[in-house]
Amino acid sequence: MAEPNTATANDDPHGIRQDVDNPATLILVFVVLIGLALANIGISGAMGPTKLTLPLQLAIASVQAGLVAYYFMHLRQGDKVVILTALSSLFWMGILFVLFLADYLTRHMVVG
Amino acid sequence: MSIAIEPQGPIAAPPPPEPDPVPVNYLNNGYSIWSWLFTVDHKRIGILYLVSISVFFLAGGIAAGIVRLNLLQPDGAIVTEDAYNRAFTAHGVMMLFFFLIPAVPAVFGNFFIPMMIGAKDLAFPKLNLASWYVFMLGAILAIWSVLAGGIDTGWTLYPPYSTRASQSHVIPGVVGVFISGFSSIMTGLNIMVTIHKMRAPGMTWGRLPLFVWALYATSLIQLLATPVVAITLLLIVVERMMGIGIFDPTIGGDPILFQHMFWFYSHPAVYIMILPGMGVISEVLTCFSRKNIFGYHAVAWSSVGIAVVGFLLWAHHMFVAGISFYAALLFSLLSMLVAVPSAIKVFNWTATLYRGSITFHAPMLFALGFVVLFIIGGLTGLFLATLGTDIHLHDTYFVVAHFHFVMVGGMVMGYFAGLHYWWPKMTGRMYSDWWSRLAAIIIIVGFFLTFIPQFYIGYHGMPRRYPNYPHEFQIFNVMSTAGASILGIGYLMPVVYLTLSLFYGKKASANPWSATGLEWQCPSPPSVHNFEKTPVVVCGPYEYAIGVDQMGRGLPEPPGVDDNPARRSGITGPAGPMNKETEVVG
Repeated sequence: MAEPNTATANDDPHGIRQDVDNPATLILVFVVLIGLALANIGISGAMGPTKLTLPLQLAIASVQAGLVAYYFMHLRQGDKVVILTALSSLFWMGILFVLFLADYLTRHMVVG
Repeated sequence: MSIAIEPQGPIAAPPPPEPDPVPVNYLNNGYSIWSWLFTVDHKRIGILYLVSISVFFLAGGIAAGIVRLNLLQPDGAIVTEDAYNRAFTAHGVMMLFFFLIPAVPAVFGNFFIPMMIGAKDLAFPKLNLASWYVFMLGAILAIWSVLAGGIDTGWTLYPPYSTRASQSHVIPGVVGVFISGFSSIMTGLNIMVTIHKMRAPGMTWGRLPLFVWALYATSLIQLLATPVVAITLLLIVVERMMGIGIFDPTIGGDPILFQHMFWFYSHPAVYIMILPGMGVISEVLTCFSRKNIFGYHAVAWSSVGIAVVGFLLWAHHMFVAGISFYAALLFSLLSMLVAVPSAIKVFNWTATLYRGSITFHAPMLFALGFVVLFIIGGLTGLFLATLGTDIHLHDTYFVVAHFHFVMVGGMVMGYFAGLHYWWPKMTGRMYSDWWSRLAAIIIIVGFFLTFIPQFYIGYHGMPRRYPNYPHEFQIFNVMSTAGASILGIGYLMPVVYLTLSLFYGKKASANPWSATGLEWQCPSPPSVHNFEKTPVVVCGPYEYAIGVDQMGRGLPEPPGVDDNPARRSGITGPAGPMNKETEVVG
């Protein structure tokens, strides 16, 4: 196999450096996560138990989970198999919720 | 189509010479306790698991013995009602979480997956060792809870009893199971990454042994389902310790929620237990019938199919728990679906046996026992998947008999088949052929006597987990206890002859069963890094009809019907097409 001849490739022949996280990015993401957590707590106190509270809090939590998966769990650098694996876990969670709801949403229905 | 292959001399390369005795193998590479406790060798870690789960199998068996002895009399023969509750819970927890789940993946998976795909080790050797320590930590906590007085909730730990009323040691037991779940996740992750990333050149997905496919499907379930039960068990602890209403309806919780989350893991966990056993059976049936597997792709993909469909049907455990009628209909239908991939396997195994040159050595006897008992267990499962009949049979001994036919008749037989099949490779020693065959027959007979009567009394209304029963059921319970005694003797026999084989057994050749897999190309016992050179795979995993291993080399002469493998000394004859009519499949 021909040797890579660019200066960058010689310097980082296995492409390791591009997979290393930038500390500034990680710290920024961490700060955002803490901010979202505080926002979640704040919403709980400010809004009280309204119809919108839970969906809003779940939406914030989903953004947090997404950030953790993308940056801290390195999906950002993952190949197709890794991303497919992550998506499959979401699919499985979907199975859990959909079939749960098949029970909870129809339990009040009277047979016949 | 059927063709006759004439004996024309070897068409493949001759069988490889017996590998030179390796001065350093994985067993003699260090004798100190530390060389075992800090090993990162997948084979040694497999042995650590083997020793551990054997102890838990014995402990769970003792608890089962207490249950069966107590049921000799209608009013309870030996223990109080409370102690009876603790005995069957200990039996369930030990057997399920600390024997059945880790049995094949952690012992044979750890030991053989790298060898079967031509790798030197698993992808993450240190994670592998960590998984054993985590497993032992969880197991010690669970054992402590049993020794400190036990748990009386049943292995299912249903709230609100487990969170509000039970006066037993629920928390340490639950935490023990919670911790051991991480071990299961680690093992599954390790096996999955290893299969993806470390296959030898030429080892395509279509050439993977079916045991590897089965472990891949198992790992999928371990990774995706175990976290759900882990968090569920943690919620039990939270409710029990802090009184936060999650499952207890008196403080705002929902007990059905627990059952949903528990069975979302615990039903697929049944397939964590049985799928690896199915993988073992595919290896053993082909080897001892000298036939290519019938329908390789169907068997391989049915493993994945079982893993996926297995996630869709958990609520059939809850038909009488108060779930929606429409959901119950849906889950009843979905439960039927899993019969399809299961039946695909059984039909293909049967077709594999058809016109094979079958020899009845111990691994084959256990494998045939698996097939028969699994068929009975699977068919009785259809009774329980059917909504109407399940209302009648729910929580009776019919259910107990059904899942023991699948778990013990299936999985434990698969485990013993694998143990006897791979023991010469793991230890380098042959065991007694006669005693091992006798043990297989005793176990099968004992099993039938134990569990067939339970179908009858269950159908006639004897509930599970009750220490008392009407007098008319006594004869069946006595039969069942007698069968359990025979079963116990059968299970103890391998302990004796396998242990004796370590000291007095004849040295095993590299390939005593004349099998085709890569693991048989290593010396017995294997060297530290398995292969001196990375093997190059050139053909499928079960080319018995043309008599070549996965590297395209000839096979040693297979053991005959009356041939005692313990008396064979390595390679005894040329390889080549067998002088027999063979079925061309696929």
